Amino acid sequence: MEILSAERVSKTYAGARGVVRALDEVDLTVARGRLFGFLGRNGAGKTTFIKIASTLLLPTSGSVRLFGEDVVRHPNRVRERIAIVPQEGRPFYHLTPLEHIREYLRVRGVAAETANARAEELVDAMGLRPYAAEPSYRLSGGLQQRTLVAMILATRAEFLFLDEPTIGMDPFARRQVWQVIRDAARAGSTVLLTTHYLDEAEQLTEELAVVESGRILYRGTPEALKSRVGREVRLQFEGGVTAAELAPFGPVFAERGKVIVATTRSRVAELTQLALARDATFNVGPVTLEEAFLALVGRSIEEEEASA
Amino acid sequence: MSYASQARSALRICYFNGILPLWRQSTLLIAIFLTPVSFVFFLFVIAPRDLFAYGVVGGILFTALFTGNGMLNDCAYYRLERQLQQVFVASPVRSTTFVLGMALSELAFTLPAQALFFTILWITHPFGPAALAGLLAVVLLTWLMATTLGFMISTFYSQLREIWPVGTMVFSTLSVIPPVFYPIAAIPAAWQWAAFFAPSTFASQLAERSIGLATADPTGAPWLGVPGVQLLGLVGATALFAAAAAKLARWRER
Repeated sequence: MEILSAERVSKTYAGARGVVRALDEVDLTVARGRLFGFLGRNGAGKTTFIKIASTLLLPTSGSVRLFGEDVVRHPNRVRERIAIVPQEGRPFYHLTPLEHIREYLRVRGVAAETANARAEELVDAMGLRPYAAEPSYRLSGGLQQRTLVAMILATRAEFLFLDEPTIGMDPFARRQVWQVIRDAARAGSTVLLTTHYLDEAEQLTEELAVVESGRILYRGTPEALKSRVGREVRLQFEGGVTAAELAPFGPVFAERGKVIVATTRSRVAELTQLALARDATFNVGPVTLEEAFLALVGRSIEEEEASA
Repeated sequence: MSYASQARSALRICYFNGILPLWRQSTLLIAIFLTPVSFVFFLFVIAPRDLFAYGVVGGILFTALFTGNGMLNDCAYYRLERQLQQVFVASPVRSTTFVLGMALSELAFTLPAQALFFTILWITHPFGPAALAGLLAVVLLTWLMATTLGFMISTFYSQLREIWPVGTMVFSTLSVIPPVFYPIAAIPAAWQWAAFFAPSTFASQLAERSIGLATADPTGAPWLGVPGVQLLGLVGATALFAAAAAKLARWRER
């Protein structure tokens, strides 16, 4: 059953270079209880969509309904049941992680006893116990981010908007946060998550949408997106091999001194021999969401440039 | 959330945003004291002794008016730098609750300074309970007016650096240029009416009148010297700013 439905949502801004179309007639639905990922490059429109759906921003046109309520006409009915981790958010200066969670819950109308219990629970679950009594200004960026995420997840709101929730966190902390997000979804919350970490999207989301230049390019499961690459294996090379040499083997993605090729199992031996002959460092693994994302968005960019 | 819950939420915001920080970073107190105390000290040194009470009343009103500057800067900082206003928008907390909570925080910050000014005033210019009630009412109205104005202005800007000079300009204009620190009699009677363009003049006249200091006698607009009109002016300005904030402030971005 759909809990969020967006129809032809557009948002335009007046920018220095004329009108900027941040969202272009986006249609999207999210089913209740889902862990839904929203992927895209910087400036693709993810945060704009989240802001509109979470009642922070008015759309230029189109409509978004959450819990069946129009977010523009009845924002207060929606706000009773949502919570958001905003992008690049930071906690209050003087409060400790424990106080953040407790006070935010109290402000939202949660009873003192429940707020205290949930604060204790989240501080443990998010690995914040050693810092529970430290004011946030003494915490690192990653710990501050964990505090903010804990504060929001503790609400147990029916719909959670998480805009890049694990940004700036170390790999251990990210995994702790993933577990708490999974627990929230298991407990009945619907989660709409944006992230630049494709491994995070792969680990967490059951369904995702890829947005580029304000338009939805893909909507479906991560597995289905990966299958669109049409190859099962990826080889990543560092030095020794050029993108042009790898092109006959399958789609190639070059990134800061690394070259990745997605290919079929039958050609792995050939590529391995090539790498050994060139003394190149390489690794082999199954195709990930990263290749699928790069292929999808890269194709879209090429098409856009060609049409321009 | 019910109205009672919203009221409790506002007090909660005041607790963690006003009282706790004050407790944990007492240097904030010095910053809040410093400007009005400097003005009062300056007047104490250079002005005749009979004008000192005007200076202390000015310090009280300056402190109340500068809650608006604090509100402007804090709300802008939380919205633009920490993205915390967004956390409250996407929640059961209403905009009025957030604004009231933030405004109460600003009031809490100024309470020690106000206590000092009230004490100095009472020692140098003794007054009774009725005068105290009058002064407190003026301070509360001034605080309400200044904080709603501060919140409204804070929502108009998208860059923190653009906001910094705005607060100083607006609230210095309201508190230093009009007769807040000095008696209105220092302005020629024919021009006293012009001072009433600043709502802070209504506040200063009411505060000075409540402790028995000489107040306005503007020629050409004698009705501006009537206490009822002055009260109406202050209440009207407060209501106007509150209505403008309700209509124009951007709780949700456009």
